[in-house]
Amino acid sequence: MIRKILMYLVLILFAISTALPFMYMIATAMTPDSYIMPYPPILIPATLYLGNFIAALASNNFLKYFMNSVFVSTVSTIAAMVVSSMSAYAFARFNFRFKEQLFRLYLFSLMIPGLLNIVPQFLFINSIGLVDSYAGLILLYVGAGIAYNTFFLRGFFQSIPREIEDSAIIDGAGRFTIFTRIILPLSKPALGTFAIFAFTGFWDEFSSALTILKSVDMRTLPIAIQLFRQQHGTDWGLIFAATLIALVPIIIFFVVFQKRFIKGDFLSGSVKG
Amino acid sequence: MKKSLKYKYRNELEVLPFLLPGFILLLIFIFYPIAKNFYMSLSDYNIFLDKMNTFTGIDNYIRVFKDKMFWDAFINTAAYAAVTILPQMAIGLILAIIINTKIKGSFLFRILFYIPVITSWLIVSLIFRYLFESGDAGLINYLLLKANLIQTSISWFSNRWTANAVIWILAVWKGIGWNMVVFLAGLQGIDRSYYEAADIDGANIIQKVRFITIPLLKPVTFFIMTNLLVGSFNVFTQVYVMTNGAPMGRTQVLLSYMYKVAFTDFQIGYSSALSVVVGVFIFILAMGQQKFLNMGYKEGQL
Amino acid sequence: MTLKKLLVGLFSLLLVAGLAGCKADPKPVSGKVLFWHTYSEGEEALFLEEVVPLFNEAYPEIEIESVRMPYDGLKQQVITAYTGNVAPDVMRMDIVWVPEFAKQGILEEVSAFDEFSDLKDNFFAGSLSTNFYNGKYYGLPLNTNTKVAVYSKAVLAELGMTEAPATWDEMIALARTLKASDDRWGLTPQGFGPWGFLPYFWTLGGKVTDDEYSVATGYLNSADSIAAVQQLYDYYKEGLIGPAMFGEQPDAWGGMAGGNYLWIDDGPWYFSIIGQTAIDSTIVSTIPEGKGGSVSVVGGEDLVMFNKSENKDASWTFMQFMMTDEVQKIMAKTGMIPVTQSAADSLTDVPAYVATYIEQLKTAQPRTPSASWGSIEQVLSLAIESVFRDEKTVTEALNDAATEIDALLK
Repeated sequence: MIRKILMYLVLILFAISTALPFMYMIATAMTPDSYIMPYPPILIPATLYLGNFIAALASNNFLKYFMNSVFVSTVSTIAAMVVSSMSAYAFARFNFRFKEQLFRLYLFSLMIPGLLNIVPQFLFINSIGLVDSYAGLILLYVGAGIAYNTFFLRGFFQSIPREIEDSAIIDGAGRFTIFTRIILPLSKPALGTFAIFAFTGFWDEFSSALTILKSVDMRTLPIAIQLFRQQHGTDWGLIFAATLIALVPIIIFFVVFQKRFIKGDFLSGSVKG
Repeated sequence: MKKSLKYKYRNELEVLPFLLPGFILLLIFIFYPIAKNFYMSLSDYNIFLDKMNTFTGIDNYIRVFKDKMFWDAFINTAAYAAVTILPQMAIGLILAIIINTKIKGSFLFRILFYIPVITSWLIVSLIFRYLFESGDAGLINYLLLKANLIQTSISWFSNRWTANAVIWILAVWKGIGWNMVVFLAGLQGIDRSYYEAADIDGANIIQKVRFITIPLLKPVTFFIMTNLLVGSFNVFTQVYVMTNGAPMGRTQVLLSYMYKVAFTDFQIGYSSALSVVVGVFIFILAMGQQKFLNMGYKEGQL
Repeated sequence: MTLKKLLVGLFSLLLVAGLAGCKADPKPVSGKVLFWHTYSEGEEALFLEEVVPLFNEAYPEIEIESVRMPYDGLKQQVITAYTGNVAPDVMRMDIVWVPEFAKQGILEEVSAFDEFSDLKDNFFAGSLSTNFYNGKYYGLPLNTNTKVAVYSKAVLAELGMTEAPATWDEMIALARTLKASDDRWGLTPQGFGPWGFLPYFWTLGGKVTDDEYSVATGYLNSADSIAAVQQLYDYYKEGLIGPAMFGEQPDAWGGMAGGNYLWIDDGPWYFSIIGQTAIDSTIVSTIPEGKGGSVSVVGGEDLVMFNKSENKDASWTFMQFMMTDEVQKIMAKTGMIPVTQSAADSLTDVPAYVATYIEQLKTAQPRTPSASWGSIEQVLSLAIESVFRDEKTVTEALNDAATEIDALLK
């Protein structure tokens, strides 16, 4: 009993410190004409003013950009998952010459700060004619993230017991069958976690999207939100309202994936069975 | 002959379909830019016309070592790594363990703790800047004064280390949820029978964490550590938005400094040299960790 | 019935012929102009709803594709777009960027166009000069602005004043009265950067470089300049300067709204963004006159063409069109001040505060036009900040900065 109370105490303490900045954000989003950040800060909205939410939805093609973002983030997540789970599987389970050295190269590439990488990357996408297309942006997302994503999934694949695969190999299953029928289903929690992180990253990405997508109609949500920050002043209420709206799909995504994939019984059933 | 060659490389042939798509992407999107980056670092590069103005050899590298601003940025970045990694891991682990016991409401807490992770860096940086405002009316100052923890309000952003402290607090605040989710995935991989056995032996919760959970989480822990280490050297937005180096460039981190070098006066060559130096440094650091890393994974292979 | 059809047909034929005839005298320019800008949402609406239709009417063969860009990360966007040959034809950019981009060799020289010499004389000299690099012009001024003194009506009233103080000393006397309460301040430069600091520095008699912008030593560290910075530093020590200078709260706008500040210096966007409350609660005036006069800093945007543009004639046509009095006057409705004498003279239907800005522009000075402005700006900010944070004496800081800026100006 005391243990439970203690646990709740810890949870609630961190819940408060997590929530505090968001309370401030919500309160400001409910303040009209907020070019000046309320000072001293307010945590409880003075009124139930929803004008900023309505204005955010109505401006800058917000809803169109919202749907664009849903599309780009979803397809990119799936594409990144397919390509990187294959290469992660290669590093986790195959034996081949220079495997360790090659993997070290993958790791090494993560270490170099890629501030200027966008220029050669953009020139490549331009050279294959994919500038101003979602295909180009998705390719960039998958390509630029390949080393990290491989690294991410390799660790999880390695922790899957080999016994299960071995019995499948004895049964005469090919590598591809093992990958799709055994490894992937067993990695649901890892893939779910991966999907959440990947989706979050794509959903929030601003700079590459603006670089690749030239048509105003194709822009994604983070670009629309950036446009609320103007050269000489920012409407805080508007930008916070827009941010809160942008959080909704990703919370839904998180809830769905946590519920469906990262629940209990990771491995236990199959290992014992 | 042909057959034996095929036999000799059978492992490589088998892995190729899995490895190749990712490897090609890696070459195009990561290695080619890195090579180009190195090439640009040897000159006074004009990035618009995509050509070297003058070949300068290692001049840019010599300049790196004499650049006081760079070393300030380097120290800030190293301090960021040293200060933020352990707390967010520890808190993330504690929360993951509590949530993993599936006490009532744990799902709601899990969502709440994850919300900072999914909120954009830009926005949370803007908010933290305002929460830590100077004067008695800044929220954090107000709370600290009320709690009698400080006697006079702190001008957080007027001093190198207090400004850094805000950057660190934000990093931990935003990172906890990520650590929690990864640790949760790891915890769920631990077979319950270990705990059941420990229960029979009469172990208490601290002992169970100490002797079962932490050792079995080793692979996940090393994964997280490498992640956070690499992440530390890529810290950018929160510094760019909250301080942009103020006061006097003393809170600059590596990436924000490189950004300034590259885009205020288009010193592309010098900026490239900075990223090569930083890359080599992190690589050496990571090689040191590599042994632990491999050890960690081997133990995790059950 | 048939007669009517015939008449309609004939009439439309005549109409088409007439229209074609109108445009026929110069060669009809056609093409598509991709235009990047960072107008605010309101300014963009005005541009799209009033300026573009006018342009289309005059030049139906030219299509304008207007793209609003986020301000953050804009330079990186220009780099990738230019290297990938998808740069805009025309871009509206901050005046301090033009020499920097010109140095990179990516802008079209506009002084090479025939019409340039006719246009040239109508521009305000200060605005035009921001396009100058290495003996040539690389852009046209589009809109200018400066900062004026914006006084809080309420705070003035408390001090028994109904109008703005005219001179620096009068203003300082008011500031000293305010000092009695510890959350009120008399003057509030917005930051240590040149944009925030220079109006105070110049007004108190300081100078950054010689008139040719070729050397800083002997100017930035002259006795006058040192005295100017010293004077501001002394005001700070006396408690007259508001925390917004240190980037702390209340910030300039918040301090005006909260009655913490007697006055701030700010641009016309202070009024166009905040709106009527800002207009009603303030009194605008030129910067109070000090030893150096009443000197503010010139801001604004220029219009440039990238040299990779494939529609140079159409782009040039569009650029010239943006300089016409009609367009300049339309954009002035948002507080954007025209760059041509003729448009400024005939302004009607603009907010009252605009007159003060035009008055201030007569003595306002540009920030050092240089391809290395980005670096110069950093040197200046650091020098001033190191004084106010007690790390260097005024003489030390300005001597060091002058040496560094000399090297950057070469």
